[in-house]
Amino acid sequence: MASTRGRPLQFDLDDDDLKLFLEEAEEQIELLDQSLVQLEGEPDPALVQRIFRAAHTLKGSSATIGHKKMASLTHAMETVLDAVRQGRRAPTSDVVDALLAGLDALRVLANEVVTRVDSGVETERLEADLMAVLDGEAPAAPPPEASAAPVYQVPAGALDPYREDIEQGHGTYFVDVTIADDCQLPSIRCYQVLQEMESIGKAAVCWPDREVIESGGGEYRMAALLVTHHTEQQITAALKAVSDVADVRCRQVPAAEATGSIEGFRDAPRPAFEQRSDAAGTQRDDAVLDGLRPPAGRKASQSVRIDVERLDGLMNLVGELVIDRTRLQQVREQLNSVLRDSNLSELLDNFEETTAHLARVTDELQDQIMRSRMLPVRSVLSRLPRLVRDVAVKCGKKVELITAGEETELDRSVIEEISDPLVHILRNAVDHGIESPEERRAAGKPETGTISVTAWNQETYIYLSVRDDGRGIDTAALRRKVVEKGLMTREAAEAAPEDQVVQWIFMPGLSTAKQITDVSGRGVGMDIVRTNIERLNGQITVSSAPGKGTEVIIQLPLTLATTKALMVSANGTVYAIPLVSVTEALADRGADVHTVGGRKMLRLRQRLLPMIDLAAALGDHRPRVLPTDGYFVVAARHGDRQAAFIVDRLLGEQDVVVKSLGDMLGARKGLTGATILGDGTLGLIVDIASLVNEQAAMAVPA
Amino acid sequence: MARPEHAADTAGLPASEEHVVIFKLADEYYALDIQAVQEIVRMQTITAIPGADYWVEGITNLRGRVVPVVDLRKRCGVPSGEYTPETRIVVVNSVNGMVGLIVDAVSEVMRIPGEQIEPPSAIVAGVDNVYLRGIAKLEDRLVSLIDLEGVLPAAVEEYADVSRAA
Repeated sequence: MASTRGRPLQFDLDDDDLKLFLEEAEEQIELLDQSLVQLEGEPDPALVQRIFRAAHTLKGSSATIGHKKMASLTHAMETVLDAVRQGRRAPTSDVVDALLAGLDALRVLANEVVTRVDSGVETERLEADLMAVLDGEAPAAPPPEASAAPVYQVPAGALDPYREDIEQGHGTYFVDVTIADDCQLPSIRCYQVLQEMESIGKAAVCWPDREVIESGGGEYRMAALLVTHHTEQQITAALKAVSDVADVRCRQVPAAEATGSIEGFRDAPRPAFEQRSDAAGTQRDDAVLDGLRPPAGRKASQSVRIDVERLDGLMNLVGELVIDRTRLQQVREQLNSVLRDSNLSELLDNFEETTAHLARVTDELQDQIMRSRMLPVRSVLSRLPRLVRDVAVKCGKKVELITAGEETELDRSVIEEISDPLVHILRNAVDHGIESPEERRAAGKPETGTISVTAWNQETYIYLSVRDDGRGIDTAALRRKVVEKGLMTREAAEAAPEDQVVQWIFMPGLSTAKQITDVSGRGVGMDIVRTNIERLNGQITVSSAPGKGTEVIIQLPLTLATTKALMVSANGTVYAIPLVSVTEALADRGADVHTVGGRKMLRLRQRLLPMIDLAAALGDHRPRVLPTDGYFVVAARHGDRQAAFIVDRLLGEQDVVVKSLGDMLGARKGLTGATILGDGTLGLIVDIASLVNEQAAMAVPA
Repeated sequence: MARPEHAADTAGLPASEEHVVIFKLADEYYALDIQAVQEIVRMQTITAIPGADYWVEGITNLRGRVVPVVDLRKRCGVPSGEYTPETRIVVVNSVNGMVGLIVDAVSEVMRIPGEQIEPPSAIVAGVDNVYLRGIAKLEDRLVSLIDLEGVLPAAVEEYADVSRAA
């Protein structure tokens, strides 16, 4: 077959659908990955059923988005699995091998939806293999217990509450309900079936137990002992009216016989149901029970899709709760100082305990909700191998990509924002960082360059590092460029220390690439990357060693809904300075202040930082009174630039919930929003980036 | 919340009646379409926004929402005065979201027949009346009908220079 590799593909889905498709595909593929290997040998019907369903679901969703190759491959897999399920084909090692080969291809095919490029997977060959396996000689093992009728245990006295009904002529029926194989949420259907039974009669006993069904634990089959005045036909009709019910079988059982055990229907394709041992007088059948339970270690199981907006709403509510908690703690302290000596101390203790408990629960709640919004960064990293390969081919380079830390989780809002910057940095690494194979050989390096992308968590931040073993950043060229473009004087450019020069790659309008390529663009890249990262309250830094390579590290908060901040006051207003920008905070007495060219400068760790009055820089023109007992200085950075902000007081660190200033006030210089303080009043969140940039613009005339 | 209908904007004044909230600025009576009024709260702590226009008093916390607050006296050119126990914040829904308006006192809710309302120019010609959409002549007093969108201009126009500087 002629390879179609590299051909652009089109799919019928928008970005939201894409995410849904990928989430679902990932879930089903993971399920297949974990259960296919267990298939070999003993064909546990429940397991086969689960695998079949996963393949079926994948077939449906890939067909929906118009992914023909994926739909056709999953169809072939489903056909084989169906044969196994019906006992026509035993799951021998060749069957499992063919299915696993198909599974590997499915991963690649699912990823095509992201790359929109044909990966050249030869599905025809794989499908042919699957069909060959299906026609293979391995004899089908008889399906287990297919001919034996399952036995249902009836707890002693189960019918006692319904004696009166039965005496008045109500019948007792054994009802067996099968839910359709392609039903997405059988647990809900089981619940609906139970509800329907309750509306036409009374379900004296359920298999699985009523509690299991009511708590969403129903599977594709349920049975019940129903006490009702309706006929068999009426029962069947009523239950069949529930969506996704594939089959209803019903048989009248004389009440006198409905004790001890009831024999189910003989042609039942699947085993009987679990029964809890707490049902009086019965024993649990562990073998049967195990078949119905999800296998241990299965991860992609207990998930529910939730609208992100709803999670946002919950997050906001928790934010309110956090504020109330802080408020309550303040009230407690006030009460404490007022009532300490009175005889109300017991009441006060009580209040303190409650407040402390509320604080713990609120923290936990906030944490849990934040976590429910978290996704592993894998969804972003999994796109990268393809990208690197494509870019490397275009540039005539050999590159190996190593990714690590795919399980690192971060807020989905951050995930959505991180992808573009990461792609840009990687393109740069391949295009500018890694040398051509010839160059590398000449430099005594292996021809294939290595780029590693690593993600990890530290405190409340996520870090992403992109490191290459290429030529490093050409600082001499950068120095030349900034002078050529008139961004700096020659003296200033030459005097700048090496580690500062490499940060200039983030300057707007600079590109050291000798040619404009369609890969890295025209020098509009890294400054936009930095702007995007900083908009998320993140930081980006770069380090480089000539001939050895470059490393770019992105630091981002785990969530965008809250941020850690240093609270300060200046001229009567409370401000929150995001902690990610703060490098140091000190009292003016300990500060080494100099006057250079009429401007106050702070000398801090061998650097001179311009000193800025925070309130004045933000445009507070009210009369300014500095506290007589000394002020404080907060050193903050933005990229490689730093400034020292004069404030009246340091008020400590705090998690702040970020709120917009609203449309009427719009985007304001130096402020990104407001936050509610413990006492219910508002504090303003400072945008350090714009203040530091403004300062730099004043210091270095363009 | 939908933008309040201002039938008076283009096609002259409505023949039917207007349902309004009447409040005081200094000694004058003003009115807002009741549809636009979300609620009326007592004066509460307001955090000043450095660098904002002189008539923007700041922002306040309305049950967990950050709401900008405008001093309506300053905005309408009425000489400013002290806040009193009667001072209220009228929270309105504007095209820019919720906004609080500080007024000296809220007096009543009333239905004003359309025929008692005249265009502002007929009475106060020459006065800067972009904030008004009509004057109601009641038996005992005159009530100025506030044009909400005139009082609260879109952020994009007023702050274009600020956002560029940032």
